[in-house]
Amino acid sequence: MEAEKVLEELKNIMVERLKFDPSRTSELTLATVLPKGMEGSLGLDSLDFIEMSMAIEERFGFVIDESQELETHFESLGALVAYITLHMAEH
Amino acid sequence: MRVTSSVDGVARRWYSHRYNRPDLYGLAARLGWLPRPLRLALARQIGRLAPRLVPAERAAIRETLAQFTNATGSRLDALTAQAFVDFAMCFSDLVSTNRKPRAQLAPYVAGTEGVERLRGLTGGFISLTAHVGNWELAGRLLAGQCARPTHVVVAPEEMKELERWVRRDGEGVRFVTRSRPTVSLELVAALRRGEVVAVQGARALGARGDTMISFFGRPAPFPMGPFLLASAVGVPLVPAFCLLTADYRYLVKVVEPFTVRRGDEEKAAQAWGALLEDVIREHPTQWFNFFDIWNPLNR
Repeated sequence: MEAEKVLEELKNIMVERLKFDPSRTSELTLATVLPKGMEGSLGLDSLDFIEMSMAIEERFGFVIDESQELETHFESLGALVAYITLHMAEH
Repeated sequence: MRVTSSVDGVARRWYSHRYNRPDLYGLAARLGWLPRPLRLALARQIGRLAPRLVPAERAAIRETLAQFTNATGSRLDALTAQAFVDFAMCFSDLVSTNRKPRAQLAPYVAGTEGVERLRGLTGGFISLTAHVGNWELAGRLLAGQCARPTHVVVAPEEMKELERWVRRDGEGVRFVTRSRPTVSLELVAALRRGEVVAVQGARALGARGDTMISFFGRPAPFPMGPFLLASAVGVPLVPAFCLLTADYRYLVKVVEPFTVRRGDEEKAAQAWGALLEDVIREHPTQWFNFFDIWNPLNR
């Protein structure tokens, strides 16, 4: 799956699962920072990350290996797209 | 619908007081050399004096106990005083007895109820507790029963120096501070590995992850995190408590585990609230939340 398509799927997850206002998705880019507490971030909290990880597994069909260091992969939309794209290529 | 990320805001810590200081924790810990009966007798004396030093907390716990017990007048005054005495004893143990190796804790355990329920659980589970009795000791004792790592989720202390007194990794127990939102991914991983995550289920975070449930007949904010985590990973919640007994030992109580279906998280939070009410009705003076649980931000 191409990076652009993965980004679109992540935007859908934001709206459908994290209940973001659909009009805000146009603001989301690969540079968008995700975790709450970081400058200019979307402000995702710990519950959002649980929901998002489950949604990613369902949508992209792989199990996230949480034994790896995941924090950096969930830092921004760009990092997450790269992580998902890599997994999709491997499976 | 979620409109802006600012709805998350920064979780407000709605309760703090001027006695939450490292020097006082240190002083209490240094008294750990005293024989426990003498140390607890001293704690009871301090507990009897404490309400005069913290009038706001006294008023809050008095109102809470009135709601819990319907007591009034001198009976309510006695319950209020007893709450401070019980807290002083549990606090004294928190910084001394709790820090002993697990193998040395048996003399302080008066009994166990329902601990056999843990043996039937083969995968990961969430141990759910509240600020009732010596909750921290419950985690340490039950970690020994589970024979697998236990990750205790805690809020970051306002003062880092306090953490050395109340958070000590070891013997299968690891403290996980909610300092980063992505910490929840570590908890998912731990549960999937078949490990245990221990969380507080009665202090809401002051963020959008809270839900209002009926608690002793009035709406109160409770955290949704434990229930969302349980439903997402598909693991049971196991309510557990550690209650001070009349002979100043502890009763470890494990309640029937329950599961949460996706979409039923609020219902599960309500069920947990009802269960917590039962425990509090039996031990009202061991409810150690010295603020208005129904309106925590209203102060």
